[in-house]
Amino acid sequence: MSSLDGPATRPNPIARLASLWWRSPQSLKIGSAILVFWVVVAVLGTLWIPYGYAQIRTGLPLEGMSWGHPFGTDQLGRDVFSRVLYGAHIVILLSFAGTVFGLVVGATIGLISAYIGGWLDEVVQRLAEAFIAIPFLVLALLAVATAGPELSGEPGLVIFVVALVYTPRIARMARAAALDIITRDFVTIAKLRGESAWSVMRRELLPNTTGTLLVEFSLRAGYAPALIGALGFLGFGIKAPMPEWGLLISENRALVLIQPITVIGPGLALASLIVGLNMFTEGLARILGRTVRLGER
Amino acid sequence: MTAMPETVMAVRDLDFAYRTGGRWLKVLDSVSIEIREGEVLGLVGESGCGKSTLAYTLLGYLRSNARVSRGEVLYRGDNVLAMNRTQLDRLRGHRISLVPQNPTTALSPHLRVGRQIAEVLLQHRAVATEDAANDAIVNLFGLVGLPDPERLIRRYPHQLSGGQQQRVCIAMALACDPDLLILDEPTTGLDVTTQSQIISLLADLRQRLGMAMLYVTHDLGVLAQIADRVGVMYAGHMVEVAPVGVLFDAPRHPYTQGLIASVPTVEVEKPVVHALKGLLRRDELPAGCPFQPRCGFAEPSCADDRQTLESIDGGHQVACQRWRAIAPELPTGEDEPHATSVTSGAPLFRFDAVSLSYGGGTMWKRFLESDPIVVVRDVSFDLQPGETLALVGESGSGKSTIARAAAGLLSPIAGGIAFKGEPLPPRVEQRSRAQRREVQFIFQNPDASLNPRARVDQMLARPLAMFFGLARDEIRDRTKQALHDVRLDASYARRFPDELSGGERQRVAIARALVADPQLLLCDEILSALDVSVQANIITLLRRLQAETNVAMLFISHDLAVVRNLAHKVAVLYHGQIMETGDVDELFAPPFHPYTHALLLAVPSIRHRKRKAAPRTEILGAPNNTGCAFAGRCPWQVGAICEEQDPPWRDSGRSNRIRCHHTVDDLQRLAILGIDGPPVSDALHPPNTPKEVT
Repeated sequence: MSSLDGPATRPNPIARLASLWWRSPQSLKIGSAILVFWVVVAVLGTLWIPYGYAQIRTGLPLEGMSWGHPFGTDQLGRDVFSRVLYGAHIVILLSFAGTVFGLVVGATIGLISAYIGGWLDEVVQRLAEAFIAIPFLVLALLAVATAGPELSGEPGLVIFVVALVYTPRIARMARAAALDIITRDFVTIAKLRGESAWSVMRRELLPNTTGTLLVEFSLRAGYAPALIGALGFLGFGIKAPMPEWGLLISENRALVLIQPITVIGPGLALASLIVGLNMFTEGLARILGRTVRLGER
Repeated sequence: MTAMPETVMAVRDLDFAYRTGGRWLKVLDSVSIEIREGEVLGLVGESGCGKSTLAYTLLGYLRSNARVSRGEVLYRGDNVLAMNRTQLDRLRGHRISLVPQNPTTALSPHLRVGRQIAEVLLQHRAVATEDAANDAIVNLFGLVGLPDPERLIRRYPHQLSGGQQQRVCIAMALACDPDLLILDEPTTGLDVTTQSQIISLLADLRQRLGMAMLYVTHDLGVLAQIADRVGVMYAGHMVEVAPVGVLFDAPRHPYTQGLIASVPTVEVEKPVVHALKGLLRRDELPAGCPFQPRCGFAEPSCADDRQTLESIDGGHQVACQRWRAIAPELPTGEDEPHATSVTSGAPLFRFDAVSLSYGGGTMWKRFLESDPIVVVRDVSFDLQPGETLALVGESGSGKSTIARAAAGLLSPIAGGIAFKGEPLPPRVEQRSRAQRREVQFIFQNPDASLNPRARVDQMLARPLAMFFGLARDEIRDRTKQALHDVRLDASYARRFPDELSGGERQRVAIARALVADPQLLLCDEILSALDVSVQANIITLLRRLQAETNVAMLFISHDLAVVRNLAHKVAVLYHGQIMETGDVDELFAPPFHPYTHALLLAVPSIRHRKRKAAPRTEILGAPNNTGCAFAGRCPWQVGAICEEQDPPWRDSGRSNRIRCHHTVDDLQRLAILGIDGPPVSDALHPPNTPKEVT
């Protein structure tokens, strides 16, 4: 596209971003809007919430929807709305940190495995397959159980578990993307120049796999809140009284018939975050797919 | 002349635009053409000039981001662009059919080729039943010279050679006996010998079937062989239309003249290519003549005044206001220095009886698998500093494999490589830093050999930092110098590869090799992905650089004309063996090795025009394991000895050596093609009937 447009007419970066935004798919726009909303909530929620997240007796226990308590109150009279808002930053931070951790480790393993090849590649790939074969919840529970009761409920453990689940999946994706690049002539040129493996990976492979990795990252980040929620629901995630959304749903599940909003509220929050992330990912993938294809021509 | 034949297809004042990046980009600007019954119209121009767009528009094919703002496309008076889906379906593949550029992607890989043609026949109700379709296909395959049609129709595309696949595509296009055949670069991906067979086939078909053709290509040599009239396109404008003879003998438009002059030829004694200056820039087109910025004859008003096709005489039209002032001859440019001062001292680089194979490798693999296939056998040559040795041959002849071995990507299974008098370690990992620096590789396709995510200066800086350990300032200066050396502006330093044209990318790849200050450049088909005018530019550039730096080149090419223009010595490869080697001028003069002769005959030439309809059958022979590799295909075969005994090397008495059972005198007598010899005539086509594939 750019060669047709001609290099001479390159608009400034802001104009380019603006035009990219206007041409971007609808899903990316909606997804971004939802994400921005939740990030704002995560930042402001800790500073401003109607009631403290652990404040009891903010009203009568088991109150329904009202202006004072949009998501009602739980058995202790805690305001569920405040707890959901406060919980946003926990969910987002944990998801983000866990996915980044998994991405860094996974991408490194994938690139090394692809570039070195041979038996190392075989071993790494069989190991990754073994990990992927275990259902992710089982794997997560195994990891939590192995960590023992002292570490249970620590945010660090949750991050580690998310990373553990994602690493082999991301590693495989990174390897596949890198294998495609390795056959290109510019990698051969680098080898002929005598570049070290590290240098080839950093200069030639990584920049050309960022598109794939970016999509992989946001895809995984989109599932992370669900994974963390599931852990929380089962009691293996963050400890009460921290209002992690899965935990919130779990705590209030007995109330689902009495005051359904106390479960539906956090459920809606979780669902909208996941939908937002996934729409964003879908749009991003389409944009990158488009530019990547054009770049290769 | 009798009455004018009826017009089959006419395009009138067509304006065509694509929408990219939120803007409309004009691809065709009031283009008009006319194709008459039984006529072959050639369309030529550089890539991006709109010739393929025009061809596809004749089929009524518009992409969703395309727009025709003016003009019409008339098939026998009906406007194709106004037709609805049903009408188009009745037209396409039936009355107008297409032979695509790449047969490999045009044929569906999971359908038998016969089935694919049967679909066309049944779709258009040309036949009633499957059985009738089968009979029709057998006839069609016979028509396009495919041997053993009954068996071939049951084959899948991947079981056919490239030439056979293209014959199948032609058969498919002919299936419904169309009025007009549109050929979109049908021979571009094929070997020169296969290309010559396909062109002969097309010439034969048009003689027998009398159908009209639109032949789209960037190769003027091909058009000289087959077209009646040629339209030259530049940046979406039709700049000249003329009967083929007139166009080549008396071109009027400066662009046509430049285009013809930049075609390298094999015939001339001291060939020099003359490059067109500058590059086509879509964003810098003036309102008037699109060629004005590059034109040597331009006057100020050219930039503002629209140029329209004006008749000169007898069907010769040109869109240039200054045509009266321009002599109808080819421009002569400055003679580029051709480094001739080749010292005959110790060779810089030497291949000594090298054999190469893929799939060898470890002991374990050798133990488990059968013998590896030897792709290069017993090849020896040497290179002096400042000398260019060209390796020529068809695809699969092992040319690139030799380059890979020279670069250290493939270990020889026998023989040795020496560099500056010392043995060169077979693997690049074992080579010293200096050796890695002094041997540089340039790949065929600059799209793949430049990292799309690195800027030009980053790519050039890396070898400088690695090999010379320079400081940042020095690197910047050297980068600038390197860009200047390959005639690129310093402003290109911060660009990404996708912001460059194909020729500019290849220049960057050359610059990247040259910053290492190499003594040997391995050039693997570095021109074949480029337009002919860009090729001419790069040939000029390489010669100049060689004269300046005295670098030696191993130049791999399938294009004999390019080789003639660039190389000092040539080695002709067939199935991994050198058949003939010697100085470039000797190689192009008799005596020839039979294979060299076949290659030279196949080169489409703008001087020797009008190929007669000649052998219709596919020439193909399996390489022999014993005796001469070329025996199965050789038109001058001596006898059984060719298949049984290795041919001896024979000295021509001059600088070249030929590996053949014939004596040099015999070869001299058999050769029918001198340097400035007569045009290839019918009688002189392969004296023996070519062997058919069985």
